[in-house]
Amino acid sequence: MSQIADASPAERRAPWRLPEAVLPVALLLALLLPLLLMPLSAVFVFAFRGGILAFREALITPESQFAMRFSLLIAFATAIVNAVLGTFAAYVLSKFHFTGRGALNTVVNLPIAIPTVVVGTSLLLLWGPIGLLGKALEPYGLQPMFTPIGVLLAHLFVTFPYMLGAVKPLLDELEVTYEEAAATIGASRWQTFWHVTLPALRGSIFTGALLTFAHSLGEFGATVLVSGNLRLRTQTAPLYIFAQFEAGNLAGANAVAAVLAALSFVIFFLLLNQTRRTERR
Amino acid sequence: MGIQVREVSKRFGPHRVLDRVSIEVAPGELFVLLGASGSGKSTLLRLIAGLTSPEEGRILLASRDVTELRPQQRGTGFVFQNYSVFRHMTVAQNIEFGLRLRKVPRAERHRKCEELLDLVGLPGLGDREAIQLSGGQQQRVAIARALAYEPKVLLLDEPFGALDVKIRHQLRRSLRAIHDRLMITTVLVTHDQDEAFELADRVGLMDRGRLVEVGRAEDLYARPRTLFAATFLGSGTVLMGRMRGGQVQFEGLDLRVPSPVPHEEGSPAYLLLRPEDLAVSSVRPAEGQPTLGTGTVVEQRFAGALRRVRIQLARRAEVHPASSPAPRSEGALVEALVPSQLPLPEKDLYVSMQRWHFLDPPPASLLVADDGRGPAGRLEIARYLARALEARITLLGVAADARHSERLGWSLRRRQRAMGLEEAELRVRYGNAATQILREQDELLSQMIVFPARARPMWLDRFLGNGAPRMSRTMSTVLEGARVPVLIAAGSGRALRRAVLIKGPDQNASDASRFLARLARPLAMQVIDLVADLDSSEPLDSSGNDLIVVAVSRRGPQGSLRIRPRIARLLAHSDRPVLLVPSQEPESSGRRR
Repeated sequence: MSQIADASPAERRAPWRLPEAVLPVALLLALLLPLLLMPLSAVFVFAFRGGILAFREALITPESQFAMRFSLLIAFATAIVNAVLGTFAAYVLSKFHFTGRGALNTVVNLPIAIPTVVVGTSLLLLWGPIGLLGKALEPYGLQPMFTPIGVLLAHLFVTFPYMLGAVKPLLDELEVTYEEAAATIGASRWQTFWHVTLPALRGSIFTGALLTFAHSLGEFGATVLVSGNLRLRTQTAPLYIFAQFEAGNLAGANAVAAVLAALSFVIFFLLLNQTRRTERR
Repeated sequence: MGIQVREVSKRFGPHRVLDRVSIEVAPGELFVLLGASGSGKSTLLRLIAGLTSPEEGRILLASRDVTELRPQQRGTGFVFQNYSVFRHMTVAQNIEFGLRLRKVPRAERHRKCEELLDLVGLPGLGDREAIQLSGGQQQRVAIARALAYEPKVLLLDEPFGALDVKIRHQLRRSLRAIHDRLMITTVLVTHDQDEAFELADRVGLMDRGRLVEVGRAEDLYARPRTLFAATFLGSGTVLMGRMRGGQVQFEGLDLRVPSPVPHEEGSPAYLLLRPEDLAVSSVRPAEGQPTLGTGTVVEQRFAGALRRVRIQLARRAEVHPASSPAPRSEGALVEALVPSQLPLPEKDLYVSMQRWHFLDPPPASLLVADDGRGPAGRLEIARYLARALEARITLLGVAADARHSERLGWSLRRRQRAMGLEEAELRVRYGNAATQILREQDELLSQMIVFPARARPMWLDRFLGNGAPRMSRTMSTVLEGARVPVLIAAGSGRALRRAVLIKGPDQNASDASRFLARLARPLAMQVIDLVADLDSSEPLDSSGNDLIVVAVSRRGPQGSLRIRPRIARLLAHSDRPVLLVPSQEPESSGRRR
């Protein structure tokens, strides 16, 4: 009895009890297993079911090689173009006051809400052979649809808001006095942007570009319409995976899917790292 | 390398933040702009730097007109309250930024940077990341950065506002030392009076977009010219008296003081008493020592060697306690400084004046209280009168709450144009109308308050007859509180040719006739006197007159101002403007004085 009296409150608790967290955590895991975790691992399990050699075999076919390279190229191009375009858009929307700024702000964020298939159709209607701009371009032999340019256009459209979303909040927060200080020191608008504003945005531009890259890599809905899904010309990795599945070539589809998934993981961890760094600042 | 600001005005929406402000800062001077928030002091500083541009006026730096130049071309160093050091740069990169833009060679840059780091007291910290420094250090970096490219002037916008007290004091001393070493023309904006006193060669006092007074701190404190300076700086008491036969008399006090500042007969005069100007004792002061009277201690505060004592005077006086917006306290409350060891009884203390200072007579001004309703034409009379009095006009609107005040502001701007009062100053306040009008009057000390006659739709007139009283509660409260003539503007703005002064047989109405004479002279207006029994029920015949002037007396020495029955009827029926002049002498029922 005296032992109990001397014991600290922690020791005086009931001899054994289920820790409070066990039940909810178990429940969550049970729910997430079929929803998230099993599909994630399934990609890799199925990709390597035929052995490492079969995996390699599936990856070195000209079609899959082209699809992966093309996807990476498009993702890079999208990320670079949108990094410039999105930063510029964020700068104008944040630093200049003009009528219709609010409306424009909403419009540039719309692509997030529009289904990508709809984006694809509307691009076809605009740039396609019978589209508004497409008809005007046809006499000059320019035809962006069903070409890599068309794919790039679709990806730029779909991923535009991600760049804006990463950069604009920071620009809005950046105090006016920061730029005013540079102005009184003698920096022109451009010098201020280059030496003062842009360096402050470095982190978020990188974040935005990574997000853009990741989304571009996985884009399907708009691409499938705009590209025409032409083998060795406009077929991106996701389109290739879908095509192989339909053709019954599960091994080929799974191998590319595993590569895509691995790439996504890498990007994801880069993003996580970047967010932590900006948070520490 | 001085600064000249000439007649600069700036507007944000309907609100005028700067109203024809002119300042001149001598080369090498440290000038402090002092004012409450919203007084326009920061805007003025930003105008000098070119961060905003004025609607009117010119700005000269080193005798060169820079009004049209962009901030980059002006060569000013600007320090912000929030430091705004560039976060991704080191301390040295921050400081060298301006030099790098000007393509100064690296070695030169480096030498300059080291020199500045020594100057601002951060030697050897050049390689640190700027944002790793404390707030005070960041502000030192900001000062060094602003000085690096040798600007013509240094401008600081509340530079120490975000720092804690101790650091603030250190930085103040550093700034003064830096200034004395470089002798750079400096303008500093602050709301902190101590900061202004400690740092400034001269202080410019700002209030609501105007530069009220400029001078050395000592002069502004001891010998202010305006009521604003007297009450904004330091503590003390302002007594309001009236000029009578060459001396200033204070109602309710046995005090007559000759004023060195010329005042017109009958006009108000303001006497400033700083706490250290008063002597307090329990024995009657010697004959000839001006005495405020006896009083009771209501509050004592220990302040080191001295003690602050607030004393309620026994008799009633018209008093403005400094730094309090409510001037009409019951008895005069004065503040005095006495040695801490001196024992003082709580009651029957004699308060006498050792020193005193008269403020300048306030500039002639007219306060027009417009509710934004009814035809604007009625207020056109304000323009005639302002011309006669050579007065500025302040147009005041009082909204019910903050939400409505902006809308009222816009509608008053439209009316202002309709009335031809573009020159008038527009003010919008919110809250109780009478209270706000009185508060404005306290700051403005105008010679007259003008109200539009209450607008009533025509059909209502026909229905009620023309009999409802035109004097509103707001008007009577203002008349009672402000003690200046109140004009109720009715009818259309026709020229003022003939005025009638109506008084009872028991009134001497000298203030009213003096005021009317002042108006009549420049307007070439004929004035007739009409003595009538004001208590009868017969309507008064005032036809043929363009302006009706009535002396309003109080009932008994302590009583309130009273509108007599016949005057009330006149107010209700007349379609001419009526000027109510509060009379200083109490109504003596029947007895001639």
